[in-house]
Amino acid sequence: MTTNDYLAKILASQTLDEGGEELETLRERRAAVENVLRDHFEDCSPTIRYGGSKAKGTMIREDYDLDIICYFPHDDTAAGETLEAIYDKTRKALETRYLIVPKASALRLKDPNPSAGAADFHIDVVPGRFTDDSKSDVFLYQSSAEKKRLKTNLDTHIKHVKESGVTDAIRLLKLWKVRNGLSIRVFVLELLAVKLLKGRSGAGLVTQLGHVWKEFRDNIAAVSVEDPANPTGNDLSVLLNATARSELSAVADRTLKLIEDSGWEAVFGSIEEKGDREKRESLRRATAAVVTPTRPWSREG
Amino acid sequence: MSPPWHRANPALFDKERTEVETAYLNLHFHVVSEVVWVRGTFPIVFNGEELDRYVIEVELARDHPTGIPVVRETGGRIPRTADRHMNPADGTACVLLPDERWRVWSHGSKLLQFLDGPVRNFFLGQSLVDLGDPWPFGQWGHGAEGIREYYAELLGTDDTGVITGYLDCLSKKKIKGHWPCPCRSGKRLRDCHSGLVQDLATKIPRRIAAQSFEKFRDKFRH
Repeated sequence: MTTNDYLAKILASQTLDEGGEELETLRERRAAVENVLRDHFEDCSPTIRYGGSKAKGTMIREDYDLDIICYFPHDDTAAGETLEAIYDKTRKALETRYLIVPKASALRLKDPNPSAGAADFHIDVVPGRFTDDSKSDVFLYQSSAEKKRLKTNLDTHIKHVKESGVTDAIRLLKLWKVRNGLSIRVFVLELLAVKLLKGRSGAGLVTQLGHVWKEFRDNIAAVSVEDPANPTGNDLSVLLNATARSELSAVADRTLKLIEDSGWEAVFGSIEEKGDREKRESLRRATAAVVTPTRPWSREG
Repeated sequence: MSPPWHRANPALFDKERTEVETAYLNLHFHVVSEVVWVRGTFPIVFNGEELDRYVIEVELARDHPTGIPVVRETGGRIPRTADRHMNPADGTACVLLPDERWRVWSHGSKLLQFLDGPVRNFFLGQSLVDLGDPWPFGQWGHGAEGIREYYAELLGTDDTGVITGYLDCLSKKKIKGHWPCPCRSGKRLRDCHSGLVQDLATKIPRRIAAQSFEKFRDKFRH
């Protein structure tokens, strides 16, 4: 098996089956979220649809967050006079059903049932307001940034990534990010990959990934990222700060060395998956070999 | 305030980093705002085979290796519930009972030993619990109950009054021989369990004993 074949198998193992349980659960949750929002904003007719990796075709099993956008018409103030009010009203609407963790522009949905331990539903709702009747550009509220209003365009983002010709490389880079605990935001990594792989869509995955990691290792200071929907108005440099750059560079360096010393499996792991029974037996054998057993505790009484 | 461990002892930092990054190929050291973090994938390997993996972050204490590292599972696989030994408030993993540290990750031990020992055991247990098995090495009760269970085993008594007495002794700056023995024999400490108390004082840091004493007293009211 060639390395490109191996990477194709890794990608296949990270693909959520169309009829599979995970996607079905996400669809049901999306429908439930949409119902809550439509009930609450009955008079506003918000546009509710998929954004993020689901729309871009870059979803992976190990990090399958679902972005649901909820954009209100530009001339409708029933959902809120200001962007902040829209964000707050959307949060309050969702709080009737979910535990909400506010993010910069999005609202993260978790299970409100305490016995579920705030289980993550892997869903972000992104409220916003269209800039005009064309329902194309949108203003988002940024709770943590100095500039509270962000202009962007979901369709431009989706098209930028989806039509880049490098979505497979992007999916592998997302897996690399997750497995290595990198703090860079996914959409920034996607934009970096599209930029660095421009003109290389015909190259194999080995060449594409190698190129991105070499750029991270050798030229991280020169790497920059722009919002394709608003290149001059939306400064993403804060998301690619010194910490993020240093992490990318250091981990890319280790990854390239790992491949040289131990091969690609050291980066993305084995493609063999054990069944539950076989896995349980192996884990039990590993347990029996432990020299100093320890018991977990819990601070909460 | 004294500098954080990685600046006070750069040689130790380099050694810890090299050891961990050599053994765990997808764990990476990062220093952010004077805090050392270890992030990435923690594999459960047995006989050269990877049985499972967790995405984790380990926050090293400012006084590492004196302080116990804080472990979080960041991949979202484990529910944040006390029954799974994940603190619901902050997602930290309770990989060990601090009072028991001397036995499972003694003072002066390296980070690699912490990862290979309590951390591996913790995630090995999580994988088995995921598959419907019980905790492979047992589990301590939650909060003060776990402390009671531990000291009951250590001291060979279920008497919460006696346990409170020992914890009280261990949380004091100086232990004095004329105190009544915490075993409640009525004898002075120097004539009774002085040896045991002194031994425990070398193993269980006063700060940890004081925290347990407070938790324990609140629950059992002695």
